[in-house]
Amino acid sequence: MTGAATLRRDPAVALTVAVLWLVLALFVAFPMATLLARIFFDKGAFSADGFLAVLTDRHQIRAFWNSMLLGVLVGVGGTLLGFMFAFTAARARLSRGLLTVVDAAVLLPLVSPPFTTAIAIIFSFGPRGLITYELLGLKGVTAYGLTSTLFSEILTFFPIAYLTLRPLLAGIDSNIEGMAQSLGASRWRVFRTVTLPLCVPGLANAFLLLFAASLADFATPLILAGNQFPVLPTQAFLQITGLFDLRGGAALSLVLLVPAMAVFLLQRYWVSRRFYVTVTGKGAGQAPHDSVSPRARAALLAACAFVAVAIIYFYALLLYASLVVALGANHTFTLAHYRVIFTEGLRVIGDTLIIAAFAMPLGGLYGVLLGYLVTRKSFPGRRTMEMTSMVNYALPGTIVGIAYLIAFNEPPIELAGTALLIIACYVFRYGPTGIRATIALLQQIDRSLEEASLGLGAGSGTTFRRVTLPLILPAFFAGLGVVFIRSMTAISATIFLVSVSWTLITVKILENITELSLGPAAAYSVLVVVIVFVVIALIGLALRAFRAPGSTRVTSLLGG
Amino acid sequence: MIPARLKRAFARTFAACTFAVTSFAAHAQGTVNVYSIWPENWARPMFEEFTRATGIKVNFVRFSSGEALARVTAEKGNPRIDVLFGGPVETFAAGIAEGLFEPYKSPSFDKLPARMKHADGQWIAIADDPLVFMTNEKFLKENNLKAPASWDDLLAPAYKNMLQMADARTSGTAVTRIFSIIEVNGRNEDKAFAYMKKLRPNVQIFTKSGGGGTLPVGLGQAGGGIFFIVDALDTKAKGYDVAISFPKEGIGTSAEAIALIKGAKNPDLGRKLIDWATSPAMQNQFAKHKINFVPAHPDVALEPSLAAVLKGANIFPIDADFAGKNRKRVVDRWIAEILNP
Amino acid sequence: MGDATIGVQVDGVSKRFSHRVKGEVYAAREVRLDVAPGEFLTLLGPSGCGKTTTLRMVAGFEKPDEGAIRFGGEDVTALPANGRGIGFVFQNYALFPHLTVADNVAYGLEVRRVPSAEVGSRVAEVLKLVGLAGYEHQFPAQLSGGEQQRVALARAIVIRPRVLLFDEPLSNLDARLRVQMRTEIRDLQRRLGITTIYVTHDQEEAMAVSDRIVVMNQGRVVQEGTAQDLYHRPANEFVATFVGRVNLVPGRIDDLVGGVASVSMLGTTVEVRSVAHGIARGDAVRVVVRPEAIGLSAAGSEGPSATVASHAFLGEKIEYGLDCGGAALQAVRYNAGPGEVLPDGAPVTLNFAEEALALLPGDGR
Repeated sequence: MTGAATLRRDPAVALTVAVLWLVLALFVAFPMATLLARIFFDKGAFSADGFLAVLTDRHQIRAFWNSMLLGVLVGVGGTLLGFMFAFTAARARLSRGLLTVVDAAVLLPLVSPPFTTAIAIIFSFGPRGLITYELLGLKGVTAYGLTSTLFSEILTFFPIAYLTLRPLLAGIDSNIEGMAQSLGASRWRVFRTVTLPLCVPGLANAFLLLFAASLADFATPLILAGNQFPVLPTQAFLQITGLFDLRGGAALSLVLLVPAMAVFLLQRYWVSRRFYVTVTGKGAGQAPHDSVSPRARAALLAACAFVAVAIIYFYALLLYASLVVALGANHTFTLAHYRVIFTEGLRVIGDTLIIAAFAMPLGGLYGVLLGYLVTRKSFPGRRTMEMTSMVNYALPGTIVGIAYLIAFNEPPIELAGTALLIIACYVFRYGPTGIRATIALLQQIDRSLEEASLGLGAGSGTTFRRVTLPLILPAFFAGLGVVFIRSMTAISATIFLVSVSWTLITVKILENITELSLGPAAAYSVLVVVIVFVVIALIGLALRAFRAPGSTRVTSLLGG
Repeated sequence: MIPARLKRAFARTFAACTFAVTSFAAHAQGTVNVYSIWPENWARPMFEEFTRATGIKVNFVRFSSGEALARVTAEKGNPRIDVLFGGPVETFAAGIAEGLFEPYKSPSFDKLPARMKHADGQWIAIADDPLVFMTNEKFLKENNLKAPASWDDLLAPAYKNMLQMADARTSGTAVTRIFSIIEVNGRNEDKAFAYMKKLRPNVQIFTKSGGGGTLPVGLGQAGGGIFFIVDALDTKAKGYDVAISFPKEGIGTSAEAIALIKGAKNPDLGRKLIDWATSPAMQNQFAKHKINFVPAHPDVALEPSLAAVLKGANIFPIDADFAGKNRKRVVDRWIAEILNP
Repeated sequence: MGDATIGVQVDGVSKRFSHRVKGEVYAAREVRLDVAPGEFLTLLGPSGCGKTTTLRMVAGFEKPDEGAIRFGGEDVTALPANGRGIGFVFQNYALFPHLTVADNVAYGLEVRRVPSAEVGSRVAEVLKLVGLAGYEHQFPAQLSGGEQQRVALARAIVIRPRVLLFDEPLSNLDARLRVQMRTEIRDLQRRLGITTIYVTHDQEEAMAVSDRIVVMNQGRVVQEGTAQDLYHRPANEFVATFVGRVNLVPGRIDDLVGGVASVSMLGTTVEVRSVAHGIARGDAVRVVVRPEAIGLSAAGSEGPSATVASHAFLGEKIEYGLDCGGAALQAVRYNAGPGEVLPDGAPVTLNFAEEALALLPGDGR
């Protein structure tokens, strides 16, 4: 049966496909086309001058290479750290309590705005830093530059690597390692010749994810990179917000598109094919009792504890800053900052929550619908639809934000300044996580389940509602979770979209940090972390309630 | 309570969604829309006083001057705000070149000295804000330094990598600073840039906003910097141990202005805000809210402690026309020669 | 580790787990095994009986809480798996998915720093032995289940282990392949003479490959012996029902003389030679009657009469369900040719092959 025939026979599917194409055209294709047009057309005539000017400006070239360097270092460092945590969690036989502590510490950077550790770093390092000066007595240290940016980004992004690698390590059949051991290999040799090679695709994947995350992050470098180490996303941001040179900013962001697309394609078409299928039957439940030597276990635990303590220290400092009059000068306890955010800041909190509350179900629904249609229905342009849906997800937020700003600032479609635009940005940028989760889940659910329903005379709508939907609910909740968390914490795209009427907590935090109004910034950050943790917990409960026993687990709420 | 809030939330979103496609119209009657260049902790109490006095609500968002100017410029065809509030006059002078403002002379206009208003009423000053040197007392003591009393004092090796000041791409403070340096060098731009180049190695970071360096200086993470007096005094008031000083060669002051946006959707409400802001009605409130601006209106007395700080300081106004005309060129040169050497 | 064949002693090992609901439970309890050099011993039992746990303790993947494990008299209890010189074959083969067949097989040799020339020849030799010559450069994912099983076997034996351990190696294969592979494993073990412990839940498989079978249940050893011992002289009801199909017919001891019991059951009297300990005259017993021990003759002969309740024609044999005065019995006859099948409802007379009967106490112990 051809795709077109399916559509004729099934009006419900045809309608859904049409609506999805319409919104994809409006919120993905149109902004990108406008962005390109703005860069390459000057007064109606094609001109690559503006773009070439960026490409040949030596400062921007330097910024580009700095971005690449930072991305690679963050990728390598974050992947190593993530792997260490994942390996410890999967192999060092931690007690449940300890595992919870590790998980919470690791999740903390992931559920807070991406630049929150930057504040703590400014305080802790530098000529009078709590750590460098007060603790270590070092002088002449600077808190700005590559080192501190790298440090902050690794700490912020390594949880992504952890979440990617942990299920992978846990999924390696423990018999394989046991086998290698029984063949006489030492623990180290088993690790080197079996465990590590099996993780290579996961490591590559984690590296690419972190590289992309670093490429999209302008806020951390804005606060920490200083002037000696300009990076491209920050330059593009300043070009637009500072000089309102939309064209120049767009051109700069377009330069980022090349590595971002390269990363996405590598991940999609190279790494994903290299995962080994290790499951060939029933795996023995538990790992070999001594896959990690006591000494290695102690070393791993110590290293993880060190990092976890560092993270907890940074967030404790943040909490402390939110509870004293002025950190560094007046350490009198006060709730004034919270009073400020709950009076003056109430509107911002309200705006953010309203936007998140709308983006969350829309994003979850979008992910499930699109994921379902492209895996289970054949219709013309199916692959194109899947690829199009990934565009906003794969590109750095700066590009997406700039494209939205340019595309929707003026008629014919004027949405600038509205909540709708911010919601659309979140839905189409973070909804794809739900799409990926849905596709992954559906690939594991036998098509015959749906065929059985169709065979019993149910229409495709009923089949979707009664059979498929309950099975892919975990993906729906995963999509919900990601969209909500990002709606509360993301900044790179939406900072371009806030307005007099609608603004976001993250933007407020960034403004307060750059103004160094530390108290309110810290109080807002604490609030975000608390809200996100509560919502994740609720989604987790819902997930448990809805998940049919024995159905597939979605690896993680935040992965991907 | 919750249902009411929920209702409001839905109503707002619904309104936003409905009107979004045609135009931005989600504002209520009796509300004036404002971009504030003043930080929120000063702008908010002022607007609250205004609402209390007039019943008109103020819907505002804060941007640093470069951002605000850029936004208003971008929205020229379809302005989303009525009034641009606060920020150094250079910013407003640059805005005139873009044709952003609607001239308006408030009742206080005639009483103000010439440098506190644009001749045609494109902008009117609401305050005056001199730049100062702010240094960390502990840092000075450790390095056996006195608070800097000359521009050249900042070139001392002890300050190497220890100064913080604003980035001219985003901050009006930075633009005022650069024009001050041009002014003390007799408007010899090359000489001024030569000085800035010498100063560059001592700069730890150029911050995105004008007050961005105050906290690091307060904490001793930086030794000192050049800030507007409001930011400096605010830092001191929070309890940080900092010294405030002025260079003997003189330092610029920049009037803080207000202007009506051309094509504003609520021009009458905007004018009411300008009337109020340019009059003693607002400027008398500075002291009450511990905002250390120098009032622009001659009838408002300078707060005594602020007067004490300013005593004997050599302060000169920045020529708004000159600054407005040359702003873009000078900032571009600064980016090319100083920021990215 | 030389080629000298050694025995394995499992000396009273126990392994406890804490269970969320049941608290502390024994996965294996005071298990004692004595495997002779070169012997093929099978641990047989239902899932959860402790056989795999015992095997993993022998391998060194689990540490016993109590007891000791000795290889040829040497105590290896504290030795990790990589120091024991074992070859292990997992149910899911546990092939290294990132290595080729040849590299999988060579792994253990490389670990032992065998010179590379020798590695090549030994790998080739063992692959030929398991019938996989020419598969050297394939990856595991490209192989069928049976081929994967052979690679796992080759990998286990190429290192010339002191002890070969199998954990349900055939349960992922289809029925035909299972029968073929078990024969191959048996032949290979005979040829190499390596002491082998084999775990399975399939009694037919156990009987086909083993020199000796140890039946386990609930963490304990319940009986050990040859396949015939277990089948004909089960120590208790569990073994009787787990090993082969069985009718347990209630009866009573009329007389007990010289180890031969006269038992009345189904209205007749049989003489049974295999009498479990502790059974005395007058006791209620259950008679272990294997389906093939029931003879069917034309109605009216001497013996208990019954009717055919159901039948299934299986080609080489015919299975009957019988109704003998209210008691249901199963019987099996070999197919002697067309026309042999008795229809449902046909009256028959039963007789019993007395040498094939055994006795169990009547209380179900």
